[in-house]
Order: sequence, then structure tokens, then C-alpha cells
Amino acid sequence: MNHLHLIVSSRWKNIAASIASMKLLRLISFIFVISCFLFGAYYLFLRVFGYLTTVEVIGYALMDRIIEMAFFVFFIMLVFSNVITSFSTFFNNRELDFLFTLPVQPTSIYLAKLFESCTYASWATMVIALPLVVAYGVVTQAPIFYYPIAVSSIFIYVIIPAALASMLIFAIFRFLPRLTSRDVIILSLVLISGLTFLYVRVNNPALLKIFETENEQELLQYAANLTAVGGTYIPSTWLSNILKGCNGDIHQGVFYFFLLLFVTFSTVIIAFFVAKILYAQSWLLVGERGTQRKKRISILSRRQTSATKALLAKDILLFVREPTQWVQLFVFIILLAVYVFSLRRTPMYFTFPLWRTIIAFANFAYISFVIATLGVRFIFPTVSLERAGIWLLGSSPFSFERLIKIKYFFSLFTAVIIIECLLLLSNLLIKTDQRLHVTMPFIALVVAASLVSINLGMGSRFPQFKEDNPSKIAAGSGGILAALMSITYVGIMVIILATPAYYYLRGRFLNKPHNVFMIVVACVLFIIINIATIVLPLRIGILSFKRRDF
Amino acid sequence: MENCVSMYSNMSPSKSTSRLVTKNLKKCYNGVWAVKNLNLELSPGEIFVLLGPNGAGKTTTLKLIAGLLHPTDGSIHIEGTDLQEEPIKAKTVIGYVPDEPFIYDKLTGREFIHFIAGIYNVKHDQYEQNMNKLFERLDVGDWIDEYAESYSHGMKQKVIMCQLLLHDPYLILIDEPLVGLDPKSGKTVRELFFELRDEGKTLLICTHTLSFAREIASRIGIISHGELKFMGTFEELAAISGASDIENMYLKLSEG
Repeated sequence: MNHLHLIVSSRWKNIAASIASMKLLRLISFIFVISCFLFGAYYLFLRVFGYLTTVEVIGYALMDRIIEMAFFVFFIMLVFSNVITSFSTFFNNRELDFLFTLPVQPTSIYLAKLFESCTYASWATMVIALPLVVAYGVVTQAPIFYYPIAVSSIFIYVIIPAALASMLIFAIFRFLPRLTSRDVIILSLVLISGLTFLYVRVNNPALLKIFETENEQELLQYAANLTAVGGTYIPSTWLSNILKGCNGDIHQGVFYFFLLLFVTFSTVIIAFFVAKILYAQSWLLVGERGTQRKKRISILSRRQTSATKALLAKDILLFVREPTQWVQLFVFIILLAVYVFSLRRTPMYFTFPLWRTIIAFANFAYISFVIATLGVRFIFPTVSLERAGIWLLGSSPFSFERLIKIKYFFSLFTAVIIIECLLLLSNLLIKTDQRLHVTMPFIALVVAASLVSINLGMGSRFPQFKEDNPSKIAAGSGGILAALMSITYVGIMVIILATPAYYYLRGRFLNKPHNVFMIVVACVLFIIINIATIVLPLRIGILSFKRRDF
Repeated sequence: MENCVSMYSNMSPSKSTSRLVTKNLKKCYNGVWAVKNLNLELSPGEIFVLLGPNGAGKTTTLKLIAGLLHPTDGSIHIEGTDLQEEPIKAKTVIGYVPDEPFIYDKLTGREFIHFIAGIYNVKHDQYEQNMNKLFERLDVGDWIDEYAESYSHGMKQKVIMCQLLLHDPYLILIDEPLVGLDPKSGKTVRELFFELRDEGKTLLICTHTLSFAREIASRIGIISHGELKFMGTFEELAAISGASDIENMYLKLSEG
């Protein structure tokens, strides 16, 4: 345990030193942006939950179900992200080469790295989950003890997926050592997807169903179903029961809190013993595999006759050959495909033109949010991924401005393809109004241009050339800043676009006159903000890169 | 020791033929001077070796000349071009090898070479034949089509040495060329440096290997605490230090 303390404390000292070396202005800006985001998310949840409390019969039950569904999705996402982070934290990490040469128990290394992996994989979930539970407490007028219990429960909750993912990775590497890291990540994802699918099929939780009826009896039955327990054996249900228990049945809350605590503790203990048996062996096997020699066919070849082509070809090759990169993109695309095709099954009352337009608008906001998330994960780290190779570009007749511009246009090209395909397909499935079919792709292009600029600009402003794991680069302070800026930007765009959309709907369906002034104001704001978000972050990134010492 | 520099500065090549000229070059990191008033003048066909203890400012000097660091003050002219004013033009004639060789893990050595060729706009026909010969000379032929993640430090160093010559640079900057190299490769690298010198290239090399410096240097510079303590030939170094062997010469001047 003394060794564990030493490893963890040295890591903390490192983090503390990084924070201490930050300029005061940067630190204050960072804290300010995070606070704005937390309060913004809190306010948004507060409004949504506040509205639900006014919905008769099913309002409260629906709110509880949303909470449970959110925790369920968080759990699956946490297992996914922990599997990917575990590989880089427990195996593909240069610090381990040093730690394993020391007379330190592998279990001490394991516990220290488990903490690290859990933090990297869970921070984004925490940033969303904390305002969610606080808003829920405020709306339900929960007692004061609700807040510390809710917050501590979330901290306990995120440990389970981290421990599960580590066990899964150790077992696969130990017993199937010939598999490459890419195979292991794919296998883990297939396993997790399979188990999730099995759970949904067997348990058939009502939480994933969309209800459609105008019959009061059926509505009451639906409300009764909503209040039923979703899945007794999964931690997301326990967590939501803790929150509900604090508001009413205290015994239930206490029971599920201790159940969650007990299961978390047990999972960590089991993972500890699994690590004791498998970690050192699997780490050695992975290390040995890394030295295996294999001839490759040179793909990057004589055709790269210009610097731009060479840089693009290199970036594409490195992306394709790095499983932690494309597997995550693959998972994203699968989730998006599921989402888009689920729009086909929109309930009956969404077939009215008014609802279709509202759904199309909400769909656009959701897709923009997804692109913002993809931007932080895949575009923000692109400059940092040049790593120590930056010496090469820095000493060559290849300007940094050109480097960033090439990365910008390539990222934009990719983002536009994704956003336009999603939008086109989803609008076709929703059967959106023709006018929105024409205007939305243009707006999406502008939104993509801004989001790419924010992420690439911040990625150039806060590069981490010493980190080779893109997930960790995205999880750094610069990545968090870019994430919050992107989400805030999407929020502002939604608010600005809601104005003309509102007047358009009002004019079309209620035959009320258009408010031309408000529409013009919204358009002007849209143009000004987007010019600023396209030009400024990229400019900041380029200037910062030019002034940087490498 | 200031005198040592000025005493032999009249032996430097004239300004018109200089390949590299640094004037009062300074670099300060957070209030600490890494390089102070560095004046260098290197001519074509010269191997200049910079010696100095750890943290003396050798790598900083090389990085400043390679354009990876911004000088706090002073100027750098390469082939008459001001590096600060026209960095792109100046960098077309530079070749740089850092102290820690880096190649993208998921590229093969050959792909890395093709990538560099693309960055410098060098046509494949221009380098293919020479590069294959160089692969054989440096014994990287068996490894060149494997991912760089399986390379040792020395293997990476050799591949970086190969890429160095792709665009036929006039000014070659190398930080610790022998680290990680086996004796055979070390000998090949030495021969390669002489060939480059004979072709009229200018080499600026930082090293801790004194015997290597003794063998290849046309002139040496000794830097300590960011200041150039000595610049001249070995004969001049022996004369001024009063020592007979290279180690004592170096220790006397670098600690002085």
C-alpha cells in the first residue's frame, strides 16, 4: 500500500505542478468556462424537469424514467470508454516500463492505474451527470442530505465500469495473447454490445419504448409501467432508486446506496484479485507481441509528391492503423445509425406537420451536439498527435499555418460529410418540410465550419505533444475547454435559430404574421457569431503555434 | 574565457562565404539564460562540433538554428537569409536530426522517408536509388518495411539519418549522432559525415563523445552556461588549455 501511495502521490504532484504552472488568467478562464457549462447544463435540466412536473398523470414518472435511462446509457458508455482507456493506461503506457522494473506489486500499479483510467474515461459523464442530479433534486424539492448522497453515489457508480473493463482487458490479453490491440478492442466492444442487446431483449425495459396513444386508460397503464422498476440487477436502476428514495422512501434509498457501495467494493476486490493473477502476465505478453517483426506493404508511397498530399496521406494512414481511433468512430457511427433509423418509428402524433418541424429542429440540434462531441474527440487531438514529430515539420520549409489549414479543411470535409449525411437521412425519415430540406444543409455546413475551427484552434492553442493517446489529449484541460466551448456554441446556435423557426411555424400553422425584425436580428446574429467562431479560434491557434517554442 | 572566442574569431571564414552566421544570439527561458550572446560563423565544407556539459545550451542552440525556438534576441542567417524574416526560404537548406529520434509508430521506415520526401517536395526518382544504397550502408534494409513501433533507438536514429539527406541540405544540424548506434553504424556515420563535408556541406554537431569530436571536427566550440567559452581547432584548444588529451582540454575549458 505504501507503493500505491507513492505512485498515486507522484501522479498527483505532477498534476498539481501542471496546474501551478498554468498562468493565472488561463486558470481563471478555465474555471469560468467550466462553471458556465455546469450552470448552463443545470439550468437546461431544471427547465426540462420543471416542464415535466407540469405534465399531468405521467410527468413525474417520465422524469424518473428519463433519469434511469440516462444512467443506463451512461453505464454502457462508461464501459465502452473504460475498455478503450484501459488499453492505453494498463498496457500502452511508457510509465509502466519504469514501474514494472521496480520492486512494486503489480496490484499497487493496478490500483493506481485503475484510478487514472477511471478518471479519464468518466470525466465527461460526470460533467453531465452532476448538473442532472442537482436539477432533479431542486425540482423534486429533495431534502438537503439528497445532494451529498446523490453526488457521492455518482462517484461510486463510475468505478464499476472501470473495474469491469480492466478485468475484461486482462482476461482477453492473458488467454488470447495472439490478438492485436485492435482485435481486443473490437472483441470487447462486440461483447459489451452483445450483453447490452441481451439485457434489453430479456429484461425488455419500458425505458426504451416510445409511447403513442390518445386513450386515457392506456395512458394510465403507461404511467404505471413507467413507475415499475426497469432492471433490478443493473447499477443504473440502483442509482436512480437512491435518488428517488431520498425524496420519499428513505429505506429504499439507504438500501440501494449500500447495495451500490457493496457491489462497487466487491467489483474492485474481484478486479484486484484478477489483476493479481493476470495483470503482470498479460502486460508481459503484450510487450512481447510489440517486438514481433512483420513486413508491411508501403502504402504511403511515391504518389505523395506534394507536402499537402503527404501530410494528408500520413494522417489518414495513422488514423486507420490506430484501433483506439477508428474503433471509437465506428461506435459513434453505429450509435448514430441506430438513432437515425429510430426516427423512422416516430409516434403517430409526430406525423402532424407542426410536430415534424419541431422534431426536425430538435434533430438538427442533436446532430450538431454529436458533431461537437466528435470534434473534441477526433479534431482537437490532431495537432497534438504530431507528437515529437513536430521537430520535423518545424525545421522543414513547411509553415505551421499551412499545417493547421490543411488539417482544418480535411477535418471540415469529413465533418461536413457526416453532418450532411445524417441530416439528409434523418430529414427524409422525418419527412421534413421542403424549405427546411434546403436551408438546414447550409446551416449545418456553417455549424460544422465553426465547430471544426473551435476544436482545431483550441487543439493548436493547447497541444500536448508528449501524450500519444488521443482520448487523454481530449480529456486534458484544453480538451475540456474545447468541449465546453463547442457545446455552448451549439446551445447559442439553437437559441438563435429557434427565433426564425418559431416565427416560421407561427406563420405557417397559426396564420400569424411574421416578425421580420426578429428574423433579421436572428440572421445577423447567426452571421456575426459564426464569422467570429470560424475565424477567431483558428487564428488564435495559428498565432499561438507560430509563437511557440518546440 | 571570452578572450578565447575573440582570439580565434579572426580565423573564421569571411562573411560572404559563410553558410551560417549567428549574431549575439540569446535565448531566455522563464528568466534563465539558456544561450547568451552566441556568435558563430560556419563556412561550407566544415564540421563544427559543439561540446559542453548537460544543460549548457547545446540543444537550445541547435533548435534555434533549426527554427524550432524563437530567439530572445540576436539574428541567424543561413546562406544569407534571415531565419526570422524568411523562415521558409532559410529552412529549405537545413537538415536537422534531434537528440531523440522520432518516427510515427504506425508508419514503416520507408513510409516515413516517402512522407519526408513529400514535405520537401522531392520527386521519387531523385532519391530512390541513393536512399536504397543508404539503407544498405546503414543496415536498415531488413527493418525498413516494418512499423517504427518495433524499432530500437538506434534503428530510429539510422532511419532519421537517411531522411536527413533526402533534400540535399547545405547546413546539417545533428544532436547526439552516436546515441544508440552500434560501433559499425557509428563508423558508417563518421564516414558519411566526411563525405558530406567533402561535398561542401556544413555540419554542426552536438555531442558528448569527445573522441568522436576529436576525429571529425574541423573546429570545435565549448559552451557552458549558455556562453561560448572557446571556439577554434584542436591545436588551438590544446594550446590554450595546456592539456594534452581531449578530456582534460574539455574539462579545463568547460569548467573554467
